[in-house]
Amino acid sequence: MLRAVSATIGVVFGFTLAWAGLAEPDVIRRAMLLDSPYLYEIFAVAVPVAFLGTRALLHFGVHALVTGERVSWERTPVQRRHVVGSAIFGTGWAISAACPGPIVAQLGAGILWSLATFAGLVIGIRLHLAREAAG
Amino acid sequence: MKDFFVAYPPAPLAGALFALCVIAMYATVNGRLGVVGAISDVVERGRRFGWRGSFLLGLLGGAVLFTLVSGRERVGDGYGWLTREFSGVTTVVLLLVAGVLIGFGAKTAGGCTSGNGLTGTALGAKSSWVATTVFFGTAVGVSLLTKLLFGANV
Repeated sequence: MLRAVSATIGVVFGFTLAWAGLAEPDVIRRAMLLDSPYLYEIFAVAVPVAFLGTRALLHFGVHALVTGERVSWERTPVQRRHVVGSAIFGTGWAISAACPGPIVAQLGAGILWSLATFAGLVIGIRLHLAREAAG
Repeated sequence: MKDFFVAYPPAPLAGALFALCVIAMYATVNGRLGVVGAISDVVERGRRFGWRGSFLLGLLGGAVLFTLVSGRERVGDGYGWLTREFSGVTTVVLLLVAGVLIGFGAKTAGGCTSGNGLTGTALGAKSSWVATTVFFGTAVGVSLLTKLLFGANV
């Protein structure tokens, strides 16, 4: 049940990513060059709506339908890694005009170039895990 | 049906659908929606991946479904500014390097565009607001720099 529900949410997420053109490099590139407000408009709606929805779950003490846990989350304090990691990520995002969600959506849309980006992404994650394991 | 999906959705509709996914994830599994975390779940656990890995498979399936439903072909054979400016081999190398930066950077920062930029900011996490400001700022800065270096083609 847990897997089925999260997979269903993934389907909606992936479908919306592809529909909104966020898997198309030129759409992201136009946003990064500040030639199109579309990506920013999407965020300007998504973040406040998600804020209100999650706050409502918290306020009414809702228990998650599948796990039964009371809805809650933890916030981590701002650390150096948030700045350094995001600067590295932002550089990769600018070059490829795709971030992790759109890279996977590109694979689903049959954009074979994204095989290279996805391979790099997995290598990057493995490098991070190896670095963490090494302490 | 096809015609409906050929055009991009209005930004408020796309934004609301993304927000719905974030809310639904908490309402059902009490979990944070994030794609780099989902990929990491599969990388770390292989076939024994958890609900995050299932989300990733759903995401892939959603993109396949959209392609089938819409029949949209907007990308063509090339890959945006990279194939307009560079050869195919160079593009593959650049995408591979970009992928490494994305994977390593997003894991280090504890999230990507979805985990920090969408979910974390909606939860009011200061760390996510800082991360999002930095990755958006860096991406815009690097993109403008490449336009300056390579010209109008990009």
